[in-house]
Amino acid sequence: MTAVIETEGLGKRYRTRWALAGCTLSIPAGHVVGLVGPNGAGKTTLINLATGMLAPSAGAIEVLGGRPAADSAQLARVGYLAQEAPVYAGFSIADHLRLGAHLNPGWDADMARRRIDRLDLDPRQKAGKLSGGQRAQLALTLAVAKRPELLILDEPVASLDPLARREFLQDLMETVAEHQVSVVLSSHLISDLERVCDYVIVLVDSRVRVAGPVDELLAAHHLLSGPRRDPASLPAGVEVVSASHTDVQTTLLARTSGPVLDPAWTVSELGLEDLVLAYMKQPATRSHPLEVLK
Amino acid sequence: MMWLTWRQFRAQAIAAAAALVAFAIVLALTESRMASMYNSSGLLTCHGGACSGLATAFLVQLSSGQGVSFLPVGANVYVMLYFLSVLIILVAPAIIGIFWGAPLIARELEAGTFRLTWNQSVTRTRWLTVKLALIGLAAMAVAEAFSLLQAWWAAPIGKAVGLGGGASIFSEGRFGWFVFPTHGITPIGYAAFAFALGVTAGLLVRRPIPAMAVTLAIFAAFQAFVPLWIRPNLFPTSQTTATIAASGANVSLRANPALTLIASIVPGRPGAWIISSEGVNAAGRPVGTVPAACESAISDTLGSHQGTTAGPDPAALNNCVARHGIRVAESYQPASHYWPLQLAETGFYLALALALAWYCFWRLNRRNS
Repeated sequence: MTAVIETEGLGKRYRTRWALAGCTLSIPAGHVVGLVGPNGAGKTTLINLATGMLAPSAGAIEVLGGRPAADSAQLARVGYLAQEAPVYAGFSIADHLRLGAHLNPGWDADMARRRIDRLDLDPRQKAGKLSGGQRAQLALTLAVAKRPELLILDEPVASLDPLARREFLQDLMETVAEHQVSVVLSSHLISDLERVCDYVIVLVDSRVRVAGPVDELLAAHHLLSGPRRDPASLPAGVEVVSASHTDVQTTLLARTSGPVLDPAWTVSELGLEDLVLAYMKQPATRSHPLEVLK
Repeated sequence: MMWLTWRQFRAQAIAAAAALVAFAIVLALTESRMASMYNSSGLLTCHGGACSGLATAFLVQLSSGQGVSFLPVGANVYVMLYFLSVLIILVAPAIIGIFWGAPLIARELEAGTFRLTWNQSVTRTRWLTVKLALIGLAAMAVAEAFSLLQAWWAAPIGKAVGLGGGASIFSEGRFGWFVFPTHGITPIGYAAFAFALGVTAGLLVRRPIPAMAVTLAIFAAFQAFVPLWIRPNLFPTSQTTATIAASGANVSLRANPALTLIASIVPGRPGAWIISSEGVNAAGRPVGTVPAACESAISDTLGSHQGTTAGPDPAALNNCVARHGIRVAESYQPASHYWPLQLAETGFYLALALALAWYCFWRLNRRNS
């Protein structure tokens, strides 16, 4: 299966600051990919590069095997819902659907109409009068009714209240299941995405910290607790993501290639949220060796 | 793309159409009266020298408002309409640049809707091509329509001025500062340039209101400096030297006792556009001072030439200066250069508009942010 997004040393610089650096990724098709990271980590920059709204300063990016926004055929294959879900305030909902129909050869008018009906929206209503959730739904309708192979959503739920969040994501998942579309969606909160994504990319300080299918990541990470000791003394093949210590006990979140056999450790499973939070908190440079009580 | 362009442009299009219709109605209501005044002025059947007198009489009648009592506005309705209509044609391109050009991209950038539109299955290049082509053509058509309507309405005035009618408020010739850029084909060039300028300003400034201000400032600067520095040089000027009387010049004096000769006629070249004139001696060298022998003809109100004026008898001063062999060197564009200059100026603005459009395409496809 080809990659939906493939990057090699991708970077974007604004004057002197790198908003994204050294990003090498290969996201396989058929996933719902959560792009997670704190605000300012470079998520929007990566999405802008993938949609061709920005040109890279370094490296290369291919989306569905082509250069982003290279031509109308490439544009037709990618649906994009930008942050804050921009729509034309002076256009009615029907105008937006007409816009979609006129600008997309693959426009699925039935699907668009059905979605608007299901959302109980009046097509004559001006988009400027919609609530945040309704606006996001309208923008999502435009993005999915062009029948893309890949749907890219930038912070789609950030401005929605909890109920609207749940409805939006539920609706999104139904659409994904119905139309077999790959999805990349970003959020600064993993809790937003935990239920929907099966692939996760953690982006911190303009760099990719970890990326992979959720089940593989969960299988490879363990929460270890045991007597206080220096994490550096762990055997090869165990990579510490985060460590916390009390006077007598050390708790580690570690990535291991195989099972942890040292009986000194109590091994427990962990959830996606803990895993992502550990990577988000991980300092950019390695910490100093811990002083161990003798 | 056509649909989207029309959907976003229709309010402005309707406003422009309404303005054009209102303009046409006002001119149509007043045109017949002016035409019948012209027809009864004797200018249709006059010959030779008689014409200029009749033409002046017609223009004076028009500007004084005699027999123009059918409108409550009163006497000088034609003067008012003439200048108002010319003013409208002068500012129409600026309005187009401000309200059609500047928001075109800036509004999308400010509202973020460019992310919506540029991610439909239409490239940015095509998006901009359709927008620039359709709205640009509309801009040129509207500006030229205003100009043609005014030219139709003001035809009697133009003919009377062409027949030598002077001494009136209407007597600016075809090359005049506000006549040349509002007649012929130049409005097309001005409109295209103003529109492209607005679009470019919007793309660079990224917010509609500041982009409008930038558009207005730059366009006004072009309107001011093109007649001064560009238009006279679009074609090589012709030179001639004539006597003071033949060139219709009067000696005038500025600061101590400089000699200034401003010609109003190029002998044998009716309707020429005089670009500059100066006094020269028999050898053709510029003369900057009044010959000493003519000082007696200057009325020196303050002494030491500080308050010099030409007079009390301008003719005596003119004759005295002429007797000393001083003639007037004129540089001018002959009347036959009217259409070549119109074409050249329109081409100049169209070239600028195309260059700006090209820059917008280039910038849009490598924009970073």
